[in-house]
Amino acid sequence: MTNHWCDLQNSDCILIIGSNAAENHPISFKWVTKAMEENGATLISVDPRLTRSSSKADIYAAMRSGTDIAFVGGMIRWVLKDMEQNPGRYNMTYVREYTNAAFLIDPEFKGAPDLDGKFSGFSPGDADPNFGKYDKSTWTWQKDQNGIPLKDPTLQDPNCVFQLLKKQFERYDPETVCGVTGTDLEIYLQVCETYAHRSGPRGRSGTIMYAMGTTQHTHGTQNIRSYSILQLLLGNIGVAGGGINALRGEANVQGSTDHCLLYHILPGYLAPPNAAQPMLQDHLDAKLAGFATFDPKSASWWLNYPKYFVSLLKSWYGDNATEANDFGYEWLPKLNPGTNYSHIPLFEAMAKGDIKGLFCWGQNPAVGGPNSNAERGALKNLDWLVSVDLWETETGAFWQDPAAGGAAGIQTEVFALPAAAAYEKEGSVVNSGRWSQWRWQAVDALGEALPDLDIIKELMVELVDLYEKDGGAVPDPITKLRWKGWYDANPLPRGADSLVDLVSREINGWAETTIKNDDGSVRYDEGKLMGTFGHLMADGSTSSSNWLYTQSYNETDGNRQKWRDNVDYHPAGIGLYSKWSWCWPINRRIIYNRASVDLDGNPWDEEDFVIRWTGPEGNWEGDVPDGGWAPMNMEGTRYPFIMKPEGFAHIFGPGRTDGPFPEHYEPMESPLNPHPFSGTQNNPAITIWRPDEFGTPDEYPIVATTYRVTEHWQAGAMTRNMPWLVELMPEMFIEMSVELAAELGINNAEVVTIESKRGSIQAAAIITKRFKPFTIMGKTVHQIGMPWHWGFKGLSVGDSANKLTPHVGDANTTIPEYKAFLVRVKKGGVE
Amino acid sequence: MSRAVLVDLTRCIGCRSCQVACKSWNDNPAEQTKCLGAYDNPPSFSADTWTVVQFNEVEQADRLQWVFAKRQCMHCEHPGCVAVCTVGALTKTPEGPVVYEASRCIGCRYCQYGCPFGVPSFEWDKPLGLIRKCTFCVDRAEEGYETACVKACPTDALTMGTRHEMISEAHRRINARPHKYHGHIYGEKEAGGTSWLYISPVPFEELGFPMLDGEPMDYASSVIMNATPVTLAAAVGVLSGLYWLTKKKSQAAEEEG
Ligand code: SF4
Ligand code: SF4
Ligand code: SF4
Repeated sequence: MTNHWCDLQNSDCILIIGSNAAENHPISFKWVTKAMEENGATLISVDPRLTRSSSKADIYAAMRSGTDIAFVGGMIRWVLKDMEQNPGRYNMTYVREYTNAAFLIDPEFKGAPDLDGKFSGFSPGDADPNFGKYDKSTWTWQKDQNGIPLKDPTLQDPNCVFQLLKKQFERYDPETVCGVTGTDLEIYLQVCETYAHRSGPRGRSGTIMYAMGTTQHTHGTQNIRSYSILQLLLGNIGVAGGGINALRGEANVQGSTDHCLLYHILPGYLAPPNAAQPMLQDHLDAKLAGFATFDPKSASWWLNYPKYFVSLLKSWYGDNATEANDFGYEWLPKLNPGTNYSHIPLFEAMAKGDIKGLFCWGQNPAVGGPNSNAERGALKNLDWLVSVDLWETETGAFWQDPAAGGAAGIQTEVFALPAAAAYEKEGSVVNSGRWSQWRWQAVDALGEALPDLDIIKELMVELVDLYEKDGGAVPDPITKLRWKGWYDANPLPRGADSLVDLVSREINGWAETTIKNDDGSVRYDEGKLMGTFGHLMADGSTSSSNWLYTQSYNETDGNRQKWRDNVDYHPAGIGLYSKWSWCWPINRRIIYNRASVDLDGNPWDEEDFVIRWTGPEGNWEGDVPDGGWAPMNMEGTRYPFIMKPEGFAHIFGPGRTDGPFPEHYEPMESPLNPHPFSGTQNNPAITIWRPDEFGTPDEYPIVATTYRVTEHWQAGAMTRNMPWLVELMPEMFIEMSVELAAELGINNAEVVTIESKRGSIQAAAIITKRFKPFTIMGKTVHQIGMPWHWGFKGLSVGDSANKLTPHVGDANTTIPEYKAFLVRVKKGGVE
Repeated sequence: MSRAVLVDLTRCIGCRSCQVACKSWNDNPAEQTKCLGAYDNPPSFSADTWTVVQFNEVEQADRLQWVFAKRQCMHCEHPGCVAVCTVGALTKTPEGPVVYEASRCIGCRYCQYGCPFGVPSFEWDKPLGLIRKCTFCVDRAEEGYETACVKACPTDALTMGTRHEMISEAHRRINARPHKYHGHIYGEKEAGGTSWLYISPVPFEELGFPMLDGEPMDYASSVIMNATPVTLAAAVGVLSGLYWLTKKKSQAAEEEG
């Protein structure tokens, strides 16, 4: 979230799309309700079916799964047209001064309207010319002789981003949009007008709450891009009640992202080095080239990258990291440039037998992974599998799968390591609003269960011992780590009173030597906690295993994640609660907040301001400003979007692999081929692993999606073992419209079979008015939905919806396309 | 001052935290359920289930609404259950709750017939079954806590206060956003008034709430009871005996296996 949960109350218009917040984040509705009752906010819900969230909405718009870009692209078009006629309704200063709308783009750049749905630079792949890669060299802006982007502040130049955006979405007229999305035209226009007029004017704000319904598509990243562009046009980023707000699907998934449990990032969103960067300087130079700016008004914060990167190496390798050995850079594993190591390709590699062992840590891919028949099959090729979990999950017990014919022939050695539950251990949990909140242990863990941290500590100390004793091909990356004699020291180093306390301090970071000020006085004694990431250094004198979290633990206050003062000290009372837990970065609760003020530092919204300049000598009041520089009209200022090298928010976003603007493509399995926006059916920049495993609408005519219910949690291990929750939602089910049920002769509650190209499952039918057939380009298209919580272990067992989902993912992230695929439905159970 | 809860259905998201919190606080076991073609489960009150959230698909003027309604004992001002109980096992306390004292109960189950809301449930599977229903969390009130369900509700769809306060709060909300509510406060007058009060976006008929006039149920019930005491007692007696026998038999069969 750019903003945070409590801030939803400040919104004038809340758009929930790609999320069922009431269902999956019930507490969010405390704040949504407050916004509606006390702030007069309008709530809009866009979803394939009327959900628990839609039940509270002022406007509910139905939308076929996988058509967000058409839907939001049409909203963008509507806003751009309205802006021309009624510029006074919009904050044009924001658009001109804070976004890259005025930038002049390389005239060689060609967009989707010119190239039938693709962007310039596409080269088709060998296997299938519909899929390939982009050379992004034309996706760039023109620069003056000093290297500063050229701009047209009138926004009229045909090559400026604003005009290119208009051109991009000109095809997205309301009739065509509704033909693709299946939305009622009148309701669609109502959504456009309401969102634009409730949130577009200065001083008004609108927020977008989104989740996995947005991301889990072959064009998931571009779905979010379309929301961001809409928000930037309406001046909704950086302001109270605004923002682009990802509702994270698990309690600590924000923490896991920040600490980067993904292959393409290191803690604090640093980049993992690749094999083309053999020395530390190669890596740093490559990164810095991308952050370079020649504009004195651009902060380009990432220019600090070397300080954060070297501090991370110091944190990991301690005294073994020295300037002479590149701070241990060579010990880091290097990616093969261009290789994708995300979930889907890992399972493909397992299926081929290339990967021999797997740790599944609190993860249950046999239920939660896409195409779970294939993924369960891949597990059989492993030599060993370790499942760290509270229960024996379907993954740990994959060899017991009753549908797969028993354990005969499976050689995989499986280990189960029992883990402690959240309430049985202490530690930090980072919520969607970036608040890192400390949780204390409530009860002791059962049996031999241990906190994850203890499990991993025992494992690594043992690993170091083995490498030291037996050697190995490349022992240094393990033996040089600051592990042994550190995490198992007694007493623990640096004043820590427990392992989790030590790790929390280490995340914050320390002075690794005595650090002096320019005048020779001591700034930090060796071993003291760093006060801010502004003090981190690239010379090995500081450590931090996540620069974003520096300041979370310091010498004066101790562990700030333990803060529990629920008084709101913000002068406008916008509910920042800045002394309740601690939030990254440096406790800034609303990021990009320097865009919430005009060029003189006066807030767009006087009443609900986030920050304001209290000149003439000048200071910011309110939230921690995004950089303390003076307002834009004063000396020494910096542009508000400090993480971008040029300092402007990206309406034109060249960073993505699949285009600088979002463009509508159909899901890999779609009832609509061709679609009216272009001749490019699918996102051309995705990777295809199993070309023969896609179904077509003649055989599989029904659109399907998956989702969660309040009563169950993810792959179900934690809730399908809980009698009170099983009682509420006892069985795997499918929701379908009254019309589809009548067509298929299906009665309420009866068992039906759902089949895709990849598998078949059975479920109890819930026939409901909340699903309605769509009219897609004049034809009736049905959609069904299923929860994905079930599997064959636990108190409540049932088929896994993911047996039906495809092994294909987004062009940027490879997040699987769980949310839109094709099925057929039959009366009766699986034969 | 009599305690009351205001249930605002425009705020309820149907999350059923209240339903689980009730089971958790009262240590009530889960029931064996199955999907009945809707989210509702268990389908009705029972000895182990004192509150249920009902999911209503209501179509009005072309607009489909999904309205969730948490149901439990209404803690009537003039409770029918109390009026028909011949041994004083059920009593209305001045603080609001209608409480049950098991030691006095003779298991006649008249209260099930006296209640217009179908609330009191009997432990059919026990030889000396007792009546079970929502207690208004009197055991928490003694410690100064709100009820478990009120505590668990994430959206403040359940608000607790004196009955007088809750009625004025209901009026305040309806007046502040009249387009959001069907103006009626259910329980203000129904059955002579109840301690659980409801406001809703749709008329209460649409939600299956019984349409009652303002006549206190203690009066109405006693009329019924005077008319048919013997028949009723006999009927429920036979039924419960039969149930218990059947249950016993099937348990025995299972044990012999
Ligand atoms: S009559 Fe029914 S609803 Fe009223 S107090 Fe008695 S049991 Fe509760
Ligand atoms: S008041 Fe107590 S007993 Fe009654 S429904 Fe709520 S939690 Fe259950
Ligand atoms: S806890 Fe509150 S919001 Fe959830 S179902 Fe119960 S009354 Fe409704």
